[in-house]
Amino acid sequence: MKRILLQDTNGSLKKELRDFHVAFSSYLRDNNLVDKAQVVLVSDIGVYNKGIVAKVLPEGFIYVNLNSANIAEIVDKTVVKGEKIDALSFEKKNKQMRLVLRNCGIVDPESIEEYIAADGYQGLANALAMGPEKVIEEMKKSGLRGRGGAGFPTWMKWNITRGVKGDEKYIICNGDEGDPGAYMDRSVLEGDPHSVIEGLMIGGFAVGAKHGIFYIRAEYPLAVERIQKAIDVCRSKGIIGQNIFGSGFDFDVEIRLGAGAFVCGEETALIASVEGLRGYPRPRPPFPSVKGVWGKPTVINNVETLANIPYILFKGGAEFGKVGTEGSKGTKVFALTGKVKNSGLVEVPMGTTLREIVFDIGGGVLNNHAIKAIQTGGPSGGMIPSQFFDTAVEYESLQKLGSIMGSGGMIVMDEFDCMIDISKFYLGFCVDESCGKCAPCRIGGTQMLAILKKISEGKGEPEDMVKLNQIAQAMQKASLCGLGQTAANPVLSTMKYFEDEYKAHVIDKKCPSCKCPSLVVYSINKERCTGCSLCARNCPVNAISGDRQSKYTVDTAKCIGCANCYEACKFNAIVRQ
Amino acid sequence: MAMTREELNKLKSAAQSNPPRNWIRVGYSTCGVAAGAKEVLDVLNEEIKAHNMDVIVKKCGCVGLCSAEPLVEVNIEGAPRVFYGKVNKDVARRIVDEHVCQKKLVENHIYEI
Repeated sequence: MKRILLQDTNGSLKKELRDFHVAFSSYLRDNNLVDKAQVVLVSDIGVYNKGIVAKVLPEGFIYVNLNSANIAEIVDKTVVKGEKIDALSFEKKNKQMRLVLRNCGIVDPESIEEYIAADGYQGLANALAMGPEKVIEEMKKSGLRGRGGAGFPTWMKWNITRGVKGDEKYIICNGDEGDPGAYMDRSVLEGDPHSVIEGLMIGGFAVGAKHGIFYIRAEYPLAVERIQKAIDVCRSKGIIGQNIFGSGFDFDVEIRLGAGAFVCGEETALIASVEGLRGYPRPRPPFPSVKGVWGKPTVINNVETLANIPYILFKGGAEFGKVGTEGSKGTKVFALTGKVKNSGLVEVPMGTTLREIVFDIGGGVLNNHAIKAIQTGGPSGGMIPSQFFDTAVEYESLQKLGSIMGSGGMIVMDEFDCMIDISKFYLGFCVDESCGKCAPCRIGGTQMLAILKKISEGKGEPEDMVKLNQIAQAMQKASLCGLGQTAANPVLSTMKYFEDEYKAHVIDKKCPSCKCPSLVVYSINKERCTGCSLCARNCPVNAISGDRQSKYTVDTAKCIGCANCYEACKFNAIVRQ
Repeated sequence: MAMTREELNKLKSAAQSNPPRNWIRVGYSTCGVAAGAKEVLDVLNEEIKAHNMDVIVKKCGCVGLCSAEPLVEVNIEGAPRVFYGKVNKDVARRIVDEHVCQKKLVENHIYEI
């Protein structure tokens, strides 16, 4: 029996789809073929903006831009004879590639048997048989770079720590994922805990560390629970312990919980936190590879980095190195959120363009609004405007645009997002999370935020933009750790690409996206208003009054610009400017 | 006791032999649980038991389409393997009744991933 999956991929063909569905079903009935095919309406067929789309299972043919004239042909050729109709066909390229998420959604995270069945711990066994030098050699071949954001080559990090003399060394998994909108590390810890443990053990073996530490934020209770369960079962099976796989390598792992400070993702602050101290960063050098936890050589790797490692040691570094671009190998997981249809995790080979990620995988912008920018790298990153959407995603290419790869948050902004508002949000986040130890970050951040607030309230002056630039540069140069050095990036990148918006706020005292409450005036168009009172009922400050006959009006003195009425009105009667 | 590589390989071949023919996987990461995966899992287990079907229901991690959670992947002989998204108790019952028992796909909840 064939299954015909149907969907309107434009989002505007509801009636046409209904007619098509009815016509298809009756054609089947009229030809006594009801038991040959089931017609099913679906939610997402994986193709976008191609009109009415049908997917035929089990063959997987995809037919696009259909109308009722195509029905007879589809039934006669494909349903009856199983033939493909080339003229209607669309070849969908799968743009995603799952290396890090290879087991997520497939294995039961609480079953070590399923992980072992999916080649689990084979990479570790290979590594132990190879010896540490060859493991590092293999990592060098793979070209894997740190997925926490900075992109430091992993083999080099391991090699440095390996070269430092010391009887006791540590390897830490950095699971203090704190960027707003980024959650791929949580998903990997929860969905495939054993792969992170295996990666940590391989790293420990390569650098000569017998102790592994998972540093996971306490806000991820399920991740902590699953990692703990996985560690326990590994201990009982003898995968963690002494003389692992008969190699003479001993290893043990423990979990430390982060208390929810963003700065603890910075490696020196993380080390302080692991030691039970307050999460303050300290100047480097000495680097953690020389003096880390309890003064011992320590290597710190991000969750996603570690999840790549079992694959590399199982398939070989050269195999991994085939994926990606010259300077950035492998894949990257992005947490695609914001104004995008399919929010969620996507994993793409390095070198995929932003446009492919947002439009081909993400399905485009929510409600078909115009896209304004893509934010990558969280509070340390920047805004990438639409003219650069064909940029291939790599560490260097994003840096050139004034953003960073970061840990992998990717937030889609549409025409209704105000760039000053967004900058204020990110900077506000860094000001809240600044540990206060160094002045440039503590004072600079607060001052920049005050200026942004002033601009968004319509009290900005032209010299404010000069001041923002000056403080930003001081913060970049003089802050102690990465948090302060990068906190100004969202402001700098929006000033660079959206200078017009800043000028509109400062000079014209207008917010082009109608987002900054002080700069937007709400009123009601009496001709469109039907007097339904929905706006008045949604107003939190009772600024809207009126009745069915005289229609409704907004008291601008009371209005706080929350936009509730604008979103509630079904007749586009609320005017804002 | 430390495990040897031979024991690991033995475990691997044991775990790979006899894969279940009929199974349902429920996305059970934070995104799924927050969207109601626990209820869905409970209903699926109850209904499979009530219909006395030979189907294994199990948890898995997040497959990535968080906006459509709770996600349920269904693999039953005689019907194509599909993902159902935005599953609630009612849809879970329909999955067992229509997809598992009658081998008919459930309308309006299929997501291609």
